Amino acid sequence: MAPGEPPPTGPPLVIEELSIAYGERRAVDRLSLAVRPGEIYGLLGSNGAGKSSTIKAIVGLVPPSAGRIRVFGFDVVADGLSAKARIGYVPETSLLYEALTPREFLEFVASVRALPEAVASERAAGYASAFRLEAEFDEPISSLSNGTRQKVLLIAAFLHHPPLLVLDEPLNSLDPRSVRLMKELLARYVGSSGRGALFSTHTMEIAQQLCHRVGILDHGVLRAEGSLADLRERAARGDAPLEDVFLRLTRED
Amino acid sequence: MTWREARRISSVAFGEVCLQAVYAFRQGNLPTSVDTSKAAALARRRVVQSKILVAGVLTLITAGGALVLHLAPRLAEGPFFGVPVAVPVVEAGVLTGLLSLDVAFLWWTGLQVLPTLLASGVLAVLEPLPIDARTLGRAAGLLYLRLFDLPAIAVLVATPLFVGEVLGPLAGIATIPGVLAAIVFALALALLTGRAFVRRVQGSRGGGGRAIVRWAYLVLWLLPAFAMFAFVVAAGGFFALLAATLASGPSLARDALLAAFPFTFATLPPLFAGGRAGFGLTPDGLAILCAAAGSYLAVAIGGFSWLMGAVRRVGLAPPLAAREFVPPRFALATHGAARAVLTKDLRISSRTPGYAFLVLLPCLDAVVIGLFTFVAAPSSSDAREIAIGAVTTAALLATFFGPAFFAIEVNAYAYGRTLPLGDRAIVLAKAGLIAAIYLVASGLVLGITLLRIFEPTRFVAFIAAELPAVVAAALLELGILFRRSRSRGLPVANLYAGAWWALLVSIPGVVAAGAPLVAFHLLASSSIDLGLAGMGAVAIAELALAAPLALGHDRRRPI
Repeated sequence: MAPGEPPPTGPPLVIEELSIAYGERRAVDRLSLAVRPGEIYGLLGSNGAGKSSTIKAIVGLVPPSAGRIRVFGFDVVADGLSAKARIGYVPETSLLYEALTPREFLEFVASVRALPEAVASERAAGYASAFRLEAEFDEPISSLSNGTRQKVLLIAAFLHHPPLLVLDEPLNSLDPRSVRLMKELLARYVGSSGRGALFSTHTMEIAQQLCHRVGILDHGVLRAEGSLADLRERAARGDAPLEDVFLRLTRED
Repeated sequence: MTWREARRISSVAFGEVCLQAVYAFRQGNLPTSVDTSKAAALARRRVVQSKILVAGVLTLITAGGALVLHLAPRLAEGPFFGVPVAVPVVEAGVLTGLLSLDVAFLWWTGLQVLPTLLASGVLAVLEPLPIDARTLGRAAGLLYLRLFDLPAIAVLVATPLFVGEVLGPLAGIATIPGVLAAIVFALALALLTGRAFVRRVQGSRGGGGRAIVRWAYLVLWLLPAFAMFAFVVAAGGFFALLAATLASGPSLARDALLAAFPFTFATLPPLFAGGRAGFGLTPDGLAILCAAAGSYLAVAIGGFSWLMGAVRRVGLAPPLAAREFVPPRFALATHGAARAVLTKDLRISSRTPGYAFLVLLPCLDAVVIGLFTFVAAPSSSDAREIAIGAVTTAALLATFFGPAFFAIEVNAYAYGRTLPLGDRAIVLAKAGLIAAIYLVASGLVLGITLLRIFEPTRFVAFIAAELPAVVAAALLELGILFRRSRSRGLPVANLYAGAWWALLVSIPGVVAAGAPLVAFHLLASSSIDLGLAGMGAVAIAELALAAPLALGHDRRRPI
C-alpha cells in the first residue's frame, strides 16, 4: 500500500467454500474462514492438511478449483493484482532470487510495489537493523544461511506495510532473538488500523502465544475454529495446551 | 567402495541434476503440473536432447574440418595462403584448428553446465552419506563427465571416422590421442575457470563498480565461443606462419611449434598418412614431437585423475572467500515496475553465465565484426557494408535469443508471482532489454567503424530504422510465450528444457526482425535513402501490429 493511502476497510480476508484439487486428490475441501480486522488468525494442521495449498491460493500461486477468496473485497482470481498489492507474503521455503543481494531484492520488491525511494530506504534500514542484517545486506543471497534468507523475506513482506500478512511458517530457521522480535513486531503491527494476518504453523506454542483465533485443518477440511478458549471447550479439554486440543480435535475416530 | 558403486551413485545423482536443470525447484520454481512420476523421465529426456544437440554441432564442426582437409591439396597449391605450403602442413593446420575448436566448444559448454551442476545441490546431499571420500570423488567426477558424454563420444567417433575417410584409416586412428587430450583439457579448463567464475562472479557483492568487474569476467568467459571466428579470420596468416616456421629447419621456433598443443597431435595423422617429407622433420624434430605428445598424454591422464576428485571439492567449496565487513548504506533505489524487472534481469545475468551469454554475444559479435572492417575492408563503402552486416547480426541475435530471457522468470517464480506484477510490465521489460542489447551492440559497431565510415548519419539512420522491428520481434516472441504459459503453466525454458519450443518461437521473431532488413536491401539498390525509408516503414508497421497483440491482453487476468 502506498504511503498516504487511507487504511482499508472491511475484512482483510474472506474465504468461501474454497476447494483445491490436484488431479484426483482434493487438498482443500470447501474451506470457509475469515480473518477479522486487528486479528492474527492461526491456521494449524498436520503435514499435508492443506495449509500451504490454502495459502498458495490466497497469494495467487494456485487457482482454486471452486470457491472464492477475497482480500479486502478484491477477488484474488478476478482482480489478482489488486489483491496482491494488499498482501505481504512470507513463503514456507526461502524462495528468493539467488543471484541478487538482499538490497537488490528489496529494491525490486519496493519498485514493483511502487514505494517511494525515501520510504523504502527508511523502512529497509529500520528492519535490516532490527534483524541485524547489516553484514549480509550486499552479499549474494546464494551465500546466505536459511535464517538470513528468512529475514530478507520478512523484511520484503513488511516493507510496503501491507494490510494483510500471509505468513507460512515465518519463524522457520530464525534465531531466538529474531523469533522474539518477529512475535513483538507482528503483535504490534496487526493491532493497528484494520490490518490482519493469517499465520500458518504447526508449532502449537507459537500459535497459542500469538493468535487471536485458530482454525484447525485436517485432510483439507476445517475441523474446528475459534479462540483457544472456544477450542478447549469444544474438545472438553479444560485448560489443556493447544497441542492437546489439536490432537483431540484431529484424532481419527 | 568401487567404480561400480561410484557409477551407481552418479546415475542417481544425474537424475536429480536433470530434474533441477529442467524444473529449477531449488531456484524457486513451482512444482510442475506434469505428473511427478513422469517429470523425472521428462527431465532426463530433455537433458539427453540437449546433449544430442551439442554432439550434433560438434559432429558438424568435425565434418566441416574433414571437408577442408579434403580440399587441402587445392588450398596448398592455390593463392589462398600467399606462400607455398606443403599439403601435410595444411592438413596439420586444419587439424590444429579442429582440435582447438573441440577444446573451445567443450570448454564453453562446461562453463554453461557447471553452474547448473553446482546449483542442483546434489553434491551437498551426497556428502554426509556414509560413502568414502574416494568413491564420492569418483561419483562426482563421473557425474560431471555424464554431462558431456554424448558430445565427447561424438567427437571421439566422428574425428577418426571423418579424418580416416580423407587421409586413410591409420591417420584416422592417429587422431584419437589428440581428441582424448582435447576432451580432458577442455573439461579441466571448464572446472578451473568455472570455479574462479563462481567465486568472482556469482559470489560477487552488490554495487555498481562490482557489476562492471562481473561483466568483465563474463566477457573473458565468453571468449572461447569466438574461437571459430578468430580462427577463420586468422587462418591465412596462421598457415603462412606454420609453413615458414617448419621450413626454417631446426630452431627454437620450430621446436616450440612441434611441442605446442594441439599442433603436436595435429601432425600425427598427416605423418601416418605418409606426409613426413612435407613437414621436413629431422630426427630431433621427430623426437620432440614424440616427447611432447607423450607428455601431453601423461598430463591428460593426470588431468582425468584430478577431475575425479576436483569436481567434489569445487562443488562443496564455500561460494565466497571470507572478506572484510563494509558497513552498508541502506538506501534503496526504486523505479517503475518494468524498469525494476529489467534491472533485476541485468543483475541476475551479471551473475549467471547462461543469461550473460545472451546479453554479451550480440555485443561481442558486433565488436568482432566491427574490428574486422579494419582487417578486411579496403574501402569505406566495404567497411559500411560490413558494419551494416554487424548491425543486422546484432538485430537477429538479440531477437533469436530473446525468448530465453523469459527463463529468468523461472527463478523464484513461486515468490515472484505473488507480487502485484502484471504480464505487461514483464513483457515490456524483456522487450526493453532486448532493444537495449541491440542498441548497445549497434553503438559499439558505430563507435568502432567511425574511423572507417565517413557517412555516419546514414548508418545511424539504419540502426534507428531497425529498432522498431527489434522491439516488435521481442514483443511478438514474449507475447506468444506468455500466452502459452498462461494456458499450460509456466514453461521451463532454460538451457536444458523447452529449447525446441523456444527455438520455434524465435522463428517469427527473426522473421519480424529480418523483414525490414530485406526491404532495405531490395530498395537500397535504387537509393539508400529509399531503402532506409522503406525499412523504417516496415519496422514501424510491425511494431504497430505486434504491440497490441503482446500487450493488449487483460493484465488482471487470473494466473
